[in-house]
Amino acid sequence: MSANTWIVVADNPAIGNLIEIARSLGGQVSAAVVGPRAVSDTVASGGVDKVVWFGEPGQAPVEAYASAVADAVGAASGAVLGASRPSDRVLLGAVAARLQAPVLTEASSVSADGDGLVATRTVSGGIAQETVVIAGPVAIVLDGGPVPAASGTAPVDEVAAVPLAMTVVETNASAFEQVDLGAAHRVVGIGRGLKAQADLAMIEALAGACKAEVACSRPVAEGLDWLGKDRYIGVSGQHLAPELYFAIGISGQLQHMVGVREADTIVAINSDSNAPVFKEADYCLVGDLYQIVPALTEALR
Amino acid sequence: MKIVVAYKWAPNPQDATVDAAGVVDWTRAKPGISEYDPVAAELARRLADATGGEVIGLTAGTKRVDASMARKAALSRGFDRAVIVADDSLEGAGTTELAAVLAAAVRHIGDVDLVITGDSSVDVGAKMVPTVLAGQLGWPAVGEVTAVSGQAGLLRVERAVTGGAQVLEISGPAVLAAATDAAVPRVPGMKDILAAGKKPVETLEVAALGVPASSGTVTVTDTSRPTLKARKQQMIDTADPAAAAAELVRALRRERVL
Repeated sequence: MSANTWIVVADNPAIGNLIEIARSLGGQVSAAVVGPRAVSDTVASGGVDKVVWFGEPGQAPVEAYASAVADAVGAASGAVLGASRPSDRVLLGAVAARLQAPVLTEASSVSADGDGLVATRTVSGGIAQETVVIAGPVAIVLDGGPVPAASGTAPVDEVAAVPLAMTVVETNASAFEQVDLGAAHRVVGIGRGLKAQADLAMIEALAGACKAEVACSRPVAEGLDWLGKDRYIGVSGQHLAPELYFAIGISGQLQHMVGVREADTIVAINSDSNAPVFKEADYCLVGDLYQIVPALTEALR
Repeated sequence: MKIVVAYKWAPNPQDATVDAAGVVDWTRAKPGISEYDPVAAELARRLADATGGEVIGLTAGTKRVDASMARKAALSRGFDRAVIVADDSLEGAGTTELAAVLAAAVRHIGDVDLVITGDSSVDVGAKMVPTVLAGQLGWPAVGEVTAVSGQAGLLRVERAVTGGAQVLEISGPAVLAAATDAAVPRVPGMKDILAAGKKPVETLEVAALGVPASSGTVTVTDTSRPTLKARKQQMIDTADPAAAAAELVRALRRERVL
């Protein structure tokens, strides 16, 4: 008899991957949803069996409902899934604590195995992979996936909840232009091989010519601050799987490559023939990016 | 104000080796203060200095985390004192167990107004200990925190969200995970390193803390090297950049990538 699966939702209905996995485990699929009614409705018609919704949050941030979510999930005996996003991790953490359930992250596959589950996951920033068997309740962090397509309507149980004492008092827009890298088919990644911030224009020209988004390795976003943190690909940044990825002036260290090695095709441009990136590239161009990138932009026009 | 900084003493996976069977060998990897923890310590020190408060470093792990070098490295980070749970029963402890131990230690310290952690640990990187810790304590948790001010009982927290930032007000104690770029931590100087040896350290044992047992088990049944996509590794001669570009574009169009 399969255990039931819970999904926690923190104001963002992009949980299609969680629903797909939950359904594959057998048993009932229930969702605990924090956010406005529209999010609850999207989840309710996304293929779950039941939604528990805590009403309009008003001035309370998502995190204020962590206790209420743990109450709603109650004494779960199976898996509780949450998306790998900051607020979703807060809700999932509250559930894991309430259940004293172990937490599983970096899982690439999860399936039912007798009364329990079996999963594969990478460890320690991607240096190795493990197969694990799980018995009892478990909290699993996974890529949320897309907003689920509408397919039927599950009942929504609206419960009154006392939120934790926290309020949003200010909301400010970012200076950097926002981007959804996860939706980009093509991405041009730039690393420390780029010598000056002004040279980003050359990279943007290439990206424009092949209809790609611009992304970077960690030092360019965090150290140099040339691009917003949402454009940084790596172990503690974005994980992408575009059709085409250009790694330009990027050495190819594990911490960066782990965020992009699911790309269909990788082109690497680097002046160092020994750069590890070439072992993970389909097309390897050893040379000066300041000559190759403009030539590539020209060839694409 | 009593501010606890929960830090980790752990090795960097960059220094570990992995054999053909996917077994990770950590023996040559020397542990250190986990790379994002100094950011948390910096936020804590600034807030304590602004409010006349105290910063207490807290960690939990095997006996290794209480080694003299580990103590000094931690205490040179702006902590006034440290509380260390060093117990070999924590070998291989997962997120939830560590969070339960940290929560018990926070309760033991008593009257804590705020716990700050780094974004994630260098060796596991799950980003979950702060959220599970908050759950264990029954306190609010907020991640991606870029600034914290206020006083005991009323914290003003700035956090990054998609598209910008929000300011939250939290009445009562909370667990905050500092964003990786929240602050540039000060580098410990000679004075800090020498003073570290004189700061008080309290050690705790797990058995004495009363930590709830885990309700589930995760057992490793197999290991392997990560499965990487097979890559063509096709070299394109770049002596003539224009010719190289043309060849690459031809190849990508042939493959229907472009």
